Amino acid sequence: MDEHDVPSSSAAAAAADVDDSQSGAAERLERPPRRQQKQKISNYGSNEQLERNNADHTDGPVLAVPYVVVRGTNSQPPRLSAGGADGGPGPSQQELEEEQGLKYGAQHVIKLFVPVSLCMLVVVATINSISFYNSTDVYLLYTPFHELSPEPSVKLWNALANSLILMSVVVVMTILLIVLYKKRCYRVIHGWLILSSFMLLFIFTYLYLEELLRAYNIPMDYPTAVLIMWNFGVAGMMSIHWHGPLRLQQGYLIFVAALMALVFIKYLPEWTAWAVLAAISIWDLIAVLSPRGPLRILVETAQERNEQIFPALIYSSTVIYTYMGTHYTPEQPLPTATSSPSYSNSTTTTRTTQNSLASPEPATGGSTARPGNSRAHQRQQETQAAAEGMPLVTFKRNLHGNEEAAGFTQEWSANLNDRVARRQIEVQSTQSGNGRLSNEYRTVTAPDQPQPELPEERGIKLGLGDFIFYSVLVGKASSYGDWTTTIACFVAILIGLCLTLLLLAVWRKALPALPISITFGLIFCFATSAVVKPFMENLSAKQVFI
Amino acid sequence: MDLSKAPNPRKLQLCRTYFLTGFAFLPFVWAINVCWFFAEAFRKPTYPEQSQIKRYVIYSAIGTLFWTIALITWIVIFQTNRAAWGATADYISFIIPLGSA
Repeated sequence: MDEHDVPSSSAAAAAADVDDSQSGAAERLERPPRRQQKQKISNYGSNEQLERNNADHTDGPVLAVPYVVVRGTNSQPPRLSAGGADGGPGPSQQELEEEQGLKYGAQHVIKLFVPVSLCMLVVVATINSISFYNSTDVYLLYTPFHELSPEPSVKLWNALANSLILMSVVVVMTILLIVLYKKRCYRVIHGWLILSSFMLLFIFTYLYLEELLRAYNIPMDYPTAVLIMWNFGVAGMMSIHWHGPLRLQQGYLIFVAALMALVFIKYLPEWTAWAVLAAISIWDLIAVLSPRGPLRILVETAQERNEQIFPALIYSSTVIYTYMGTHYTPEQPLPTATSSPSYSNSTTTTRTTQNSLASPEPATGGSTARPGNSRAHQRQQETQAAAEGMPLVTFKRNLHGNEEAAGFTQEWSANLNDRVARRQIEVQSTQSGNGRLSNEYRTVTAPDQPQPELPEERGIKLGLGDFIFYSVLVGKASSYGDWTTTIACFVAILIGLCLTLLLLAVWRKALPALPISITFGLIFCFATSAVVKPFMENLSAKQVFI
Repeated sequence: MDLSKAPNPRKLQLCRTYFLTGFAFLPFVWAINVCWFFAEAFRKPTYPEQSQIKRYVIYSAIGTLFWTIALITWIVIFQTNRAAWGATADYISFIIPLGSA
């Protein structure tokens, strides 16, 4: 590999830094908003109200009955099915929901296990079959100390210094990303992501193809190679950044993560790789969980804007982010609004304390482009405003091309009405002086989500950075040629992932996915190679098994 | 992206875009188009845009087939004649296989 490859790889590493910076941010459940909504309803709705709601649900618009006083009851709180899709009312609704949560949780654990395992499998298979990725001869720009000395102490400080440099690069990149995101420089971020995935899909795939063919001694000519590269790269760019079949997109994301992990394994010195793994998990912990952590800010901003984090950075077990672009049809301004029977008004009661994040949003949203919101919502909002007689901020949103819509979600527009209702409640409660202590709440009719059921909302997202560093750990462990260690690492990482998902189900907030898994992985790796492997060798030498 | 939730004009638009993109020496995109829209074109109950989608899918399939045959033919010709073509063949070789000792 000659010298001019190094800057490109460093740039891609920078891209991967961003990937990594996204890692913890990625993972969150989509359910909490709806759940909160349901709980609020269950706290303040009564049975008759529920019946009324159900009646409204079937009858259609409830705008004729805007003033409904709801008494808080001490009886078993009934639950309103917010989307009309999940569970009917019943006494054991809470348990049912918990059960359902566990069930979906388990499903999603499996759904994440498969891609993570696939990614590791690709890396381990490559490491074991292509010797090119096993040896470090060229170094990244970020690791100026090459650990060439035989002294362990020198190697140690080399590794620490390298990882410190790499981590500071990661921190700077993360903060840069947050600043860009806060300033809504979506074009810059998209350009950055497109550039980095372009490099991974073309340059690094080219290197990978070359080494793969060389390892298996397969002859190939340049025209064929160029054609394959061109097809592979363009299809990947289309499916990652534009629309493509979900499976293909997931496959490309897994491949990109595996390739990035291979780059790390190849170009990082040995001790540095382990130090970086430890440091990155600590950074992940800090960045996601500390109150001013950048990833936490990112997640909160994304939630506040009701957007999805960029599709090129996140593996999603379902179709959330690409879902948006499909829903705007220029030919049909009101896609499902009038025709669908489930598009009816359901009564939503919310507390005033909920609106802290929502209220300033529409005012600021008017200035910038808001792709991905259909005219239907706007119209719907206007009609609602007219019906309620409340002055609302109506704002025109530009409808850009569909390629931009891919980054944004239906959820934003779906929750818009909810937020509008919330604001109205706030205004009215403060006007009437009741405040939040009152037990009487006016129910405001707000059209519920225009799409009756959105099962995709329950997807769990995992940052590509998590894929990358899991794979780095397993690949590094397998590069020593010991299968016991490799499998121990693999199992440890999956257990760590399980625990993280469990905590996710308990806490219901964005969690860093690296710390537990990487800690387990490191412990298992070194313990296995230091204790279990000699022990097993001894056992087989003494022929205890026979 | 989930096709089942996309409205029909959008499907047609996607299918057409994939079909047109395929002309840029991209048989893989055509293959994706065929796999992705096959059920839409042939398995779904009829809707107005379906005939056009069907046409694009069939053309994409023909294109993919053509490219596959062409590529295989070229590879076979090249690899069988590589030694005979001498320096020219070496010049356009990406990987020259090593002999076994």
